[in-house]
Amino acid sequence: MTATPIGTDAQLVIAPMLVILATAAGTLLLGRYPRARAAVSLTGGVAYAISVAAIDWYIVLAPDAPGIATYQVGGWPAPFGITLVADGLSAFMLTMVAILGVASLVFSTRHLPGGEGRSYYFPLFHFLALGVTGAFLTGDLFNLFVWFEVMLMASYVFVAYSGGPQHTRAAFWYVTLNLVGSAVFLLGVGGIYATTGTLNMADLARRLAEPAAYGLEPTPVVGLFGLLLSVFALKAGLVPFQFWIPTAYRAAPPQVTALLAGATKKVGIYAIIRLSFTVFAGAEVGVDLALPGVTIAGDSPLPFVGAALFVMATASILVGGIGAVGRDSLEGVFAYSSIGQVGFIAMPVAIATTVTTPGLRKLAIVAALIYALNHTLAKGLLFLSVGTVRAATGTSQFADLGGLAKRSPPLAIAVFIASLALVGIPPLSGFFGKFLVFDAAARARAGPVLVVLLIGSLLTIAYATRAWNRSFWGAQTDAVETATIDPVQVAVLAVLAATIVAVGVGFEPVYEFAEIAADAAVDTDGYVDTVAPQDVSEVVDASTNGGDH
Amino acid sequence: MTAIVLAAAVGALFALGTFLLLQRDLIRVVWGLAIISQAANVYLLAMGGIAPAVADSVPVLAGHGGDVPQTADPVVQALVLTAIVIGFGMTAFALVLSYRVYEEHGTLDVTELGDRR
Repeated sequence: MTATPIGTDAQLVIAPMLVILATAAGTLLLGRYPRARAAVSLTGGVAYAISVAAIDWYIVLAPDAPGIATYQVGGWPAPFGITLVADGLSAFMLTMVAILGVASLVFSTRHLPGGEGRSYYFPLFHFLALGVTGAFLTGDLFNLFVWFEVMLMASYVFVAYSGGPQHTRAAFWYVTLNLVGSAVFLLGVGGIYATTGTLNMADLARRLAEPAAYGLEPTPVVGLFGLLLSVFALKAGLVPFQFWIPTAYRAAPPQVTALLAGATKKVGIYAIIRLSFTVFAGAEVGVDLALPGVTIAGDSPLPFVGAALFVMATASILVGGIGAVGRDSLEGVFAYSSIGQVGFIAMPVAIATTVTTPGLRKLAIVAALIYALNHTLAKGLLFLSVGTVRAATGTSQFADLGGLAKRSPPLAIAVFIASLALVGIPPLSGFFGKFLVFDAAARARAGPVLVVLLIGSLLTIAYATRAWNRSFWGAQTDAVETATIDPVQVAVLAVLAATIVAVGVGFEPVYEFAEIAADAAVDTDGYVDTVAPQDVSEVVDASTNGGDH
Repeated sequence: MTAIVLAAAVGALFALGTFLLLQRDLIRVVWGLAIISQAANVYLLAMGGIAPAVADSVPVLAGHGGDVPQTADPVVQALVLTAIVIGFGMTAFALVLSYRVYEEHGTLDVTELGDRR
């Protein structure tokens, strides 16, 4: 067995994880020195962003870039070891997280909520980022489970972080729900291992593409993928798994909620896209299902996934939109809004799973990715602004707010831009996201989907306007008049707002990046060839013939 | 036979775990979580099965020429080991959290907790 040669590209793949792990350990050690801890934390965050940018350029975007690179951990070849894979899709997701992560980190150095727990804030923050990064990079199903747990463990603590009665209660619900989710994840993973004999995603895709050659009976995979889908939907917060979101998002510190909404939700979406298109799209599983009224049939599990996703996305858009209109606090509106927005991301994914034309499938995935990018930037900004408002006024209830626009015009402008991006006004990033989603739905000739999207957009306008009117316009309340708004926090918000505008104005390169990501998502053959999982029997033959180790 | 026993055990554990999870007492809920995660572990072990006694299934022994015994699948054992460690940490965290809930709310009754706004 020869060790895989490890080149620079390969080492780049693991770089973001090492950087963030070292930062987490460093901040943990520096618990007694707040200034040094904040400095290490920021340096680590910037180094992380640089390593992600290096992956973007050297592996994905440069003219002579390979487009995909792998790192076989410990030099063990796939499928025996754990494989890390960086391709366009992973790089796109990582870039989103890096932008928001650095913003949230700078923001956090200015104001940390909570007293006694402060020294653990930064280590937890980095472990959360580590879990997200690992989930985006891993090429192994069980390893994905492990990174989910890393991410969840940090987020559990963050939900309980502020230490009040309602926070611990919210954390308990959140932990309970996600522990059940983890058990279901294990059921799916175990079943897939029993059915196919592998957990390496590339190996899985190869075996499912020609099950007969490997002596597999792959039909159970459809149901098992259903189990996994429910877990991913739980992480993404799609209806009917959305009920934890409002309480958890209200309980966590706002700058962490920005990351929960901007990054961990996207892990759920990423896992759905990766497994659906890279792994299961080529699976030879012919199944017919005749439900009363609907017939679902196809030669891969995708039509089943698509049917479930359509229902979940529709319900999310409606529940999220209607819920957001009636909330009485900023973070309440944004929490429900993010349920609806994830519906907008899941809808094009659902379209992509049901269409068969490669061009249309790609367009729909691009739409989902662009929308996800917009949601990460805009919702990240909005949750961070909740942090600013709370730090300045001590409240985020509409009843106690008013006239913020007069108190701090820069803050108001940033929030205004993010709200417009959510609504989808050109030339902001949100316009293209929404436009592409509508475009994909129209090309797929999905009339009912268009109606749902339209209702969802109208609801978005309604709740965004309402949140704006209640907190930024009108007479200044006492809390607002006496507020001192932190200039650095507002600067972070301004930078994010500028990013939203920049993505919209200079949309061409962003679109190309998303296109590369969508290509990578559907390019099962390229993925399998690069990971190059060996055949167990070949390895055994080789070692039997060699016989002298 | 083994398969039936394992299936029955996994089923019983999941049933018990779900039952406890739906109780009003938070400690029982934590018990339910622990049992459900153990049920998932037993299920994982059952998914591995026994490899036949041929050299192909035990590559480590393939070059040594001797008898190859029947072996249990090592992969699922590695998975279960990881899952047990994670489950242990989570259970400990859930217990600490339930103690904290008791400190702050003075009750462990889920219904009473739900009434508090």
